[in-house]
Amino acid sequence: MQPFALNYARPAAESEATAAYVYDSGLQLNVLLDGRIAACDHSLIRELGTTTSTAGSKTHFDD
Amino acid sequence: MTVLILTGEEDVTADMVVVHLNASGVPVVRLDPADLPGGVALSGEYVHGSFRGHLSSGGRLVSIEGLRSVWVRRPGTPAARAAMPSAWLTEESAQALYGMLRGCGARWMNHPDAARRARHKPWQLRLAQRCGLPVPATLITTFPQAAQEFAERYPDLVVKPVSGAHPQDPPRAVPTSRVAPDADFSAVAFGPTLLQRRIAKRADIRLTVVGDRMLAARKECDPESEVDVRFAVSDAPWRPVDMPPRTAERVRSYVRTADLAYGAFDFAEDADGTWWFLECNQSGQFGFVEVETGQPIARGIAEWLAQPAARRQARVNGANTAVP
Repeated sequence: MQPFALNYARPAAESEATAAYVYDSGLQLNVLLDGRIAACDHSLIRELGTTTSTAGSKTHFDD
Repeated sequence: MTVLILTGEEDVTADMVVVHLNASGVPVVRLDPADLPGGVALSGEYVHGSFRGHLSSGGRLVSIEGLRSVWVRRPGTPAARAAMPSAWLTEESAQALYGMLRGCGARWMNHPDAARRARHKPWQLRLAQRCGLPVPATLITTFPQAAQEFAERYPDLVVKPVSGAHPQDPPRAVPTSRVAPDADFSAVAFGPTLLQRRIAKRADIRLTVVGDRMLAARKECDPESEVDVRFAVSDAPWRPVDMPPRTAERVRSYVRTADLAYGAFDFAEDADGTWWFLECNQSGQFGFVEVETGQPIARGIAEWLAQPAARRQARVNGANTAVP
């Protein structure tokens, strides 16, 4: 009784990356532990993959 | 006047836009509807033929009539983090928040009505056809026989979710996948199934549309590699690419008809250089493209959110190319 498309389903990949930044409600931005703005550190963002398309997203399917 | 951003705290992609808004001195209020009620509060008064409303979050208070634009980026479900969450409270909170915002006259990226419609993949395919974009032969069906006959006409097929969503019970991902040549289609009867002729692509194209701006990026791939670029293991980088003027014209027709201020289009480029329309995600990610290509997507979004509702000159490929 499983729909055809689910024959091709895979386990959802769990992100192992730990966010290296925290949200600062005063700045309305995420900041790194040293106070720098996370969005300005493109190498870190690339490494964490937090801005990539997220196949399997729990909350959004517009990726 | 203030830009309102609806998204989660962890959304570092939204941060990329906030940085630009801050640099240009545009007031911003960022909140997550999941925190209403609680960290987010609202009040609206309809008295003597007029409306006065306010939103509060993180110590900031903003007049709803004072909003210049609303960016619906990645909002949480209203009331999801309420002290006593319930489906009823979610609906109450959603009606209060979005109902007030809908009446405020701000510009939307994207308006909830347009966004809701634009999420439908079958609607996307039809609109793309009408706009003249090449669309791979596609069948959406619950008839196993129809699927079987389609597979005989188009032996090289992929299957993907109609909605683009993934099952959560348990959490699984359903990537676009090649259908085995000897597939048994009887299970098509158990759920709408989207089958599409596979494009032997030499590259993936991600086209990000922000208002009148179009920024295309290209990532080369092996035609026999993983179909779904999100799952493909590849060292090939995304690089900026000029888009064919006719394609630009057709995409412009698409976003105009869909009433979208933002859209992330996915195309498959075949060996002839044809861009085959796959889908348009009305809130698709852009951070990874900007980080790799340097394309000024976040800045473009910030400028769109900051500007008044006046017509701007069309720009394609990040240049000042005017397109009729």
